[in-house]
Amino acid sequence: MTAATSDAATAPAVAPDWFAQKRRRGNLIVNPLVPWVMVGLPVAVLVAIVVYPTIWMAYHAFQDTNMMSLFSGNWTFVGWQNFATALTDDRFLGSVRHLVRYLLFGACLQVLLGVALALILYECIKNNTVRVTLLILLVLPMMLPPSIVGVLWKFLLQADNGGFNHLLINLQLLPANQRIDWLGTRLSLWSITLVDVWQWTALPLLIVYSGRVSLPPAIYEAARVDGASSWLVLRRITLPMLKEVIAIAFIIRFMDAYKFVDHVSVMTQGGPSESSELPVYIAFQKGIREFQVGEAAAQAWLIFAVAAVLITLFLKYMKRVLKAQAIA
Amino acid sequence: MARLELQHVCKGYDRPILDRLSLTVEEGEFFVIVGPSGIGKTTLLRCIAGLEVVDAGRVIFGGRDVTRVPPYRRNAAMTFESYALYPHMTVFENIASPLRARRMDEASVRKAVLEVARLLRIEQLLDRRPHEVSGGQKQRTALGRTLVAKPDVYLLDEPISHLDAKIRHELRRQFHTLQELRRVATVYVTHDYAEALSLGDRIGVMGDGGLVQVGSSREIFERPNSIFVARHLGQPSINEVPCRLSRDGGALTLRSLEGSLSFAMNGSQRTILEKVRGDVLVGIRPQHIHVANGGSTRQIDNARVEAFEALGATGVLIAETGGVSLTVLTSPEENFEPGQPVRLGFDVEQFLYFDAVHGRNLKA
Amino acid sequence: MSQSNYRLIKTLLLIFLGIWLVFTLFPLYFMVITSLKPVEEINRMIPTFWPHTLKLSNYAGIFADPGSLKSLADSVIVSVANTALSLLLGTLAGYALARWIRGAAGENLAFWILSNRMFPPVAVIIPMFFLFDSMPWGTDSYFSLIVLYLVFNLPLATWLMMVFFRDAPRELEEAAYLDGFTPLRAFFRVTLPLVFPGMISVAMLCWIFAWNEYLFANLLTGTTVKTFPVHIPTFTLGSQSLWNLIMAFSLVAMLPPVILFVILRRYMVRGLSLGVVKG
Repeated sequence: MTAATSDAATAPAVAPDWFAQKRRRGNLIVNPLVPWVMVGLPVAVLVAIVVYPTIWMAYHAFQDTNMMSLFSGNWTFVGWQNFATALTDDRFLGSVRHLVRYLLFGACLQVLLGVALALILYECIKNNTVRVTLLILLVLPMMLPPSIVGVLWKFLLQADNGGFNHLLINLQLLPANQRIDWLGTRLSLWSITLVDVWQWTALPLLIVYSGRVSLPPAIYEAARVDGASSWLVLRRITLPMLKEVIAIAFIIRFMDAYKFVDHVSVMTQGGPSESSELPVYIAFQKGIREFQVGEAAAQAWLIFAVAAVLITLFLKYMKRVLKAQAIA
Repeated sequence: MARLELQHVCKGYDRPILDRLSLTVEEGEFFVIVGPSGIGKTTLLRCIAGLEVVDAGRVIFGGRDVTRVPPYRRNAAMTFESYALYPHMTVFENIASPLRARRMDEASVRKAVLEVARLLRIEQLLDRRPHEVSGGQKQRTALGRTLVAKPDVYLLDEPISHLDAKIRHELRRQFHTLQELRRVATVYVTHDYAEALSLGDRIGVMGDGGLVQVGSSREIFERPNSIFVARHLGQPSINEVPCRLSRDGGALTLRSLEGSLSFAMNGSQRTILEKVRGDVLVGIRPQHIHVANGGSTRQIDNARVEAFEALGATGVLIAETGGVSLTVLTSPEENFEPGQPVRLGFDVEQFLYFDAVHGRNLKA
Repeated sequence: MSQSNYRLIKTLLLIFLGIWLVFTLFPLYFMVITSLKPVEEINRMIPTFWPHTLKLSNYAGIFADPGSLKSLADSVIVSVANTALSLLLGTLAGYALARWIRGAAGENLAFWILSNRMFPPVAVIIPMFFLFDSMPWGTDSYFSLIVLYLVFNLPLATWLMMVFFRDAPRELEEAAYLDGFTPLRAFFRVTLPLVFPGMISVAMLCWIFAWNEYLFANLLTGTTVKTFPVHIPTFTLGSQSLWNLIMAFSLVAMLPPVILFVILRRYMVRGLSLGVVKG
């Protein structure tokens, strides 16, 4: 047998030459270009359908584009005027107030309800078949087309012969001769919120439920052995471990809710008399119906900018909280 | 000619792992690479297989330079430490996989797979899925997959590390007898030195950056070229006693730096250590210390028992003498109590001496 | 706390759950019975909670009406085509991002792709409306919806497929390479079967979104292409909405996603939770 040679008997104190001038050698398996092409295709599509509109909107937000100027190509630079108009427009500001109420009593409530319902479902119902059946039933609203849900509730919330009022009467929650004008000026926004809660509570419910299912059972057994009460277990074990999941559910709902106008479109069209208008809806109307493109662009950007900032802040806050928790 | 050659192979990620490593494994040779976890043994195999591209150097299969050839054209076969069996295919299909890649006809595939399965005694499992068979059977399926491929080089990455002792023993026996592995070069990686000593025609001990010593199992065990190698081979580990040479009068004595252990150097020992300056790390294998009964010519010291384990075939005694704790191999039938006095005899001729600074074997 | 207290609280909680369940199911129940009522019964001042007469012909009417059938067909065309496209592009990008594009560039790219989901559709549709209007295919076309739904579905598909590919062990592909399979063959033979359940959940999520989508369809299309969410509000007789027909048709249109969900719910839950947990 021939002798083998080995050069590196002891570790070199200084990095050897070949390592110091090492370039990225890539790999032998695929041509390095291939992955970039694979990613490039979808990225190109996204650039076309997202980046292009974004830039377009950013540009026109500073122009006075409207129907005529759009097709003729004559628009003029107006600086921050569109933004100023939007921020001083009572109608727009009103819609922002509506949005805050809508998110507070909509998305936030949904997350709270979703968590509560998910945990009740998981902890209080032990029979797996029953549990799964109930889960399916509870999650059903999320699967339905929002426009149909809107139509359905429009039907139910009719003041005179709507099913919802009469259900309340039958349940003795409403005097027989009274009718609540759900879609009237006073309550239209609350009705929209109600429908939102009806349809979308299922999403946080599903997310938190999935999260709860995937928690390690060993901790619960240990807690049981230690004799911890259910309330304690809930407070000290379940909720802290689900913090991340709940936060994600909240972000997802928030991200979807602030731009969601299907229900408004179908049920109230923002009315009556602007009582249920949301900012995105106004932007839509301005842009597609009134062709006030410049103003619509400014509004859209305002909405998006605020939402992006809020989401980013929330994400940063969550990262900090979770990092602290991970260390602990 | 199916010799495997590595010429000055270099590979690093955030630090260098293989530094100008050169190695030749002859056709038919069973070469074992042994070393601590994380040292780069798997990286080396992956470089030979082509799953990693080397930063410098060449890889040559039987005269063919495959350095820039992708793994699917290298004709190497590898068993992964995790077996990497396809979970959605049967054992039969797993083994047949390399043949499917070559688009071999169904009849030949059946024949080849059955042959290998019979050889490895898993022919009754061919219809099962990987998750339905035991660890040892999974390992044999993985081995079957490499055998059926008839590659230019076999690469085995810790194939039996995760199996229990009995199965390991049986599979080791099978490695000895598999003639197919003798057709070309085989590189076998393990962290278990006993496996290495048992299986390897030649053994390479891997340290930081490459192979620190290559040789037959006997060479490596009896003449380790550094304390690193000596430390790595042997269970229980070699006793290491840092000592200083003192020359008073004409006598050459090794005195331990801690405690008061000392060994007189005479004859051949003296010749070896005569010229040495600086401190010496003395390596004493547990089997070269004995519990002395009655008279003997070896150096004897009084010691006190610290702990004793009876382990089936042998006994491991930890005794303290002259302020130094030493591990000693004894017969398992002894009965030592902590604190009990014993007398230890040392086979001084078997001592290994290493340079205290670099760890180099002074005897070499 | 004592046993009886515990039981009491548990009962209260279950009642709460029960109330919510009733609240959730009542509208659906009402929808079903309305779809079975004749027109006269619907317009009564006090609605009935149990149909006095059953009129199944409401449903028959749907299948006889070419407009309704076309809207269902259009929905199928748009949703299936978009799902296929999203899945194809998402798988390509997801695989590249999971296996080969590493480091900061990869992470940033993946995050940017996902962040597109945050975008308000209004910001997309206004420019695209005018752009497509000036194009030969116009806004009222299958192409416009199929492409525009990618705004939402493509980031989702890419992100989820990337997560699923990351989950599939690299070593299996490497074993395939050593067997002699090229990366392409290895992908189809080893990787794809492993991520297949994931692909199903991605397909489901994408398809349900495309099937249910209203806003873009309403704004851009209406004649050449008319998906069912756009078609439903047209069930009017004079100024009165024909609620019974609307409900009947809505139930028919709602069935596919619901049935799919019931059958494939495990995939959906897995897809959602994996995407959420790893996201």
